[in-house]
Amino acid sequence: MTNLATARDTAPARRAAPRRPGRGPLAAGSRTRGAAGRRRTPLLFWCPFAVLFAAMYLAPIVYAAVSSLFVVHRSGLGLTAPTKVFDPIGNYTHAFGDGGFTSSLGRVALFGVVQVPVMLGLALGLALLLDSRSARAKGFFRLAGFLPYAIPGVSAALVWSFMYSPQSSPVNHLLEPLGLHVPFFSGGTVLWSVANIVTWAWTGYNMVIIYAALQSVPAEVLEAARVDGASALRIAWSIKIPAVRGAIALTAVFSIIGSAQLFNEPVVLQPVSSGAISSVFTPIMSAQAAVAAGDYPYAAAQSVVLAVLVGVVSFVFFKLTNRGEQA
Amino acid sequence: MKKPPLRTAALAGAVTLGLLLAGCSGSGSDSGAGSGGRTTVTFWGWAPGYADAVKAFNRTHTDLRIDYQQVQPGAKGGYQKTLNAVQAGNAPCLAQLGYETLPSFAAQGALQDVAEYADAGKGDFFDASWKSVSVGDAVYGVPVDTGPMALFYNKKVFDSLGLKPPATWAEYKADAKRIHAADPHKYISSPYLDYDYAGLAWQNGAHWFGVDGDSWKVSLASGPNRQVADYWQDLVRTGAISNAPMYDQAWYKGLGDGSIATVVGAVWQAGVIKGGAKDGAGQWAVAPMPRWSAGDERTGNAGGSATAVLKGCESPKAAVEFAHWLSTDRTAYGILVDKAGLYPAAEKLTDLPQLSAADPYFGGQKISDVFAKAAPKVDADWTWGPVMTKTAADLDDGLGKAWAGNGTIADALRTAQDKTVAELKHQGLKVSG
Repeated sequence: MTNLATARDTAPARRAAPRRPGRGPLAAGSRTRGAAGRRRTPLLFWCPFAVLFAAMYLAPIVYAAVSSLFVVHRSGLGLTAPTKVFDPIGNYTHAFGDGGFTSSLGRVALFGVVQVPVMLGLALGLALLLDSRSARAKGFFRLAGFLPYAIPGVSAALVWSFMYSPQSSPVNHLLEPLGLHVPFFSGGTVLWSVANIVTWAWTGYNMVIIYAALQSVPAEVLEAARVDGASALRIAWSIKIPAVRGAIALTAVFSIIGSAQLFNEPVVLQPVSSGAISSVFTPIMSAQAAVAAGDYPYAAAQSVVLAVLVGVVSFVFFKLTNRGEQA
Repeated sequence: MKKPPLRTAALAGAVTLGLLLAGCSGSGSDSGAGSGGRTTVTFWGWAPGYADAVKAFNRTHTDLRIDYQQVQPGAKGGYQKTLNAVQAGNAPCLAQLGYETLPSFAAQGALQDVAEYADAGKGDFFDASWKSVSVGDAVYGVPVDTGPMALFYNKKVFDSLGLKPPATWAEYKADAKRIHAADPHKYISSPYLDYDYAGLAWQNGAHWFGVDGDSWKVSLASGPNRQVADYWQDLVRTGAISNAPMYDQAWYKGLGDGSIATVVGAVWQAGVIKGGAKDGAGQWAVAPMPRWSAGDERTGNAGGSATAVLKGCESPKAAVEFAHWLSTDRTAYGILVDKAGLYPAAEKLTDLPQLSAADPYFGGQKISDVFAKAAPKVDADWTWGPVMTKTAADLDDGLGKAWAGNGTIADALRTAQDKTVAELKHQGLKVSG
């Protein structure tokens, strides 16, 4: 499609082409304009990107960062429009003193530390199984593993809320005769109930990325290892896994960011969670709560804190994994 | 007046962006709005039927034209859109606004005081409804509908145990125990959260907020609130409350199969029950809300909405004129009753023929009779708070646990009060008491 479109667009230009090389009588006069045009042309191509980038990416970030430096101030009953007072640390000190927000940060940190390794371990294991020589029906299993990712997160969370709900849980219904009961929504387990949904949804996605990386391991290296008598396990451990380090690090960073941005699943589960999921369960939910209270700058400050923390963690993580690679 | 620096920053950003855009495109064209002789007032709402009512208005009025635009229901994004529009300076004149949200809008400076135009219509509305559109002396719109409460009960369940609908809360508790003892899978009710719970407090005069001069009073943990909280806490303790959350599939199932025997709810709950629990057809009936003591006729309220005038409206007088018409015109309101199931805030409309039909779902009962008696008995001193969405969320965090047996309702109210006071102080609002 793109090729066709380009061909159509450039057709008139091609027709005019013979005039270009500067042999004709017009050439001398148009030289200076041509030079300026040459400088302008790349700029013209750059413009659509620059505008979109500035409007959709830079502007909101700058706007959020700047507005986090102001504190909403109202007075009396607040019936006149609120004013915003410049107070660069006001929202930030409030954020770090806000128990709801700090514990939401701790919660997603704990979530990330446990859930990300479990999920990536599963994804790596499944990718290696798919990649093994004895694997059958690879296409089917690849698709089956990937399928949960294709289901919109909110729909999936709704189905899981049915699985967890004390009234309808088929899991607990099956376990009932054995005298067992899984408290999906108790204070201690609820985070792992959420982690279970996230793992279910994203393992296949990460598996596909790692599997794709496995395809680029040179066949002759694997062949050589086999000739040398290395077992399949040994090949996986010593050749394949080191070869896909980059892909694993990439999926890890994506997953760290995903954990920090946890939102859909807890929000969907909240109404049936008997209060185990609070309105400030994750940092983004906490920022939403600030928006609900009409305090946009405070929400912006929370977002900035979250973004900086995620940035630092991702950066450190990349540095650590890279250092290992170079050593 | 000093320009807020943030707006300057935003302006600078916008200018930079504009320059970038201008550099990349040709000249834009300005669109000019042609104006006729009629005043045009824009109105944002979502209730089904509003569009038809507006059409009827435009047909019969020559000097004023209403431009109705449908937005997402408030909690689903409509309120946010409206607030953003006010901040951006391109808001409509009028917006549909739930009573519980109106003070939050007012406290963000998003509403316009129209007392001078609206006060003349005050007498047409129930006192409680009028109170719901005002904060202090300011009036921010015209009440449209109201949510007087009653007791929806599964008559089949009550009859099978030889019980009559409870007239007092003491009887309600006794019935709760009887029902649960007769069948441990049957419960008197589901838990109530945020605005549904507020209706229970409202009945007892257990105000959550108040206005005292130029400061807010926050009283979720007051004595009367404690009384309501302890009452329901006791029902939780005896195991008489189901763990099915309201509006959840499990709740509708319970309403349909008789395992949830009552709903203490507002008039619009009739439509919710009818629509969600089809299996319960013919089994349900409506009785007055149980009283705290015999002879005490106070009733709670849940829900209701107003047509509010937003900050920046250039023709507030015309806007109020239309809003008053919408809430009081018999033809227009007939449409709203038919299409949206609204219950009028205007006292003289409670005899609308659309309201008084006997309902086969409720065993042929004319349920509107119960609500027509309840509406004037709604306590008229209730005030919603200035950060209501946050207060409601904080309250639900605690209530959810309390209904499940972790912590108490009284503590949930106390925590919500503390958090609300902290939030108000953080934003610089004055709090007294």
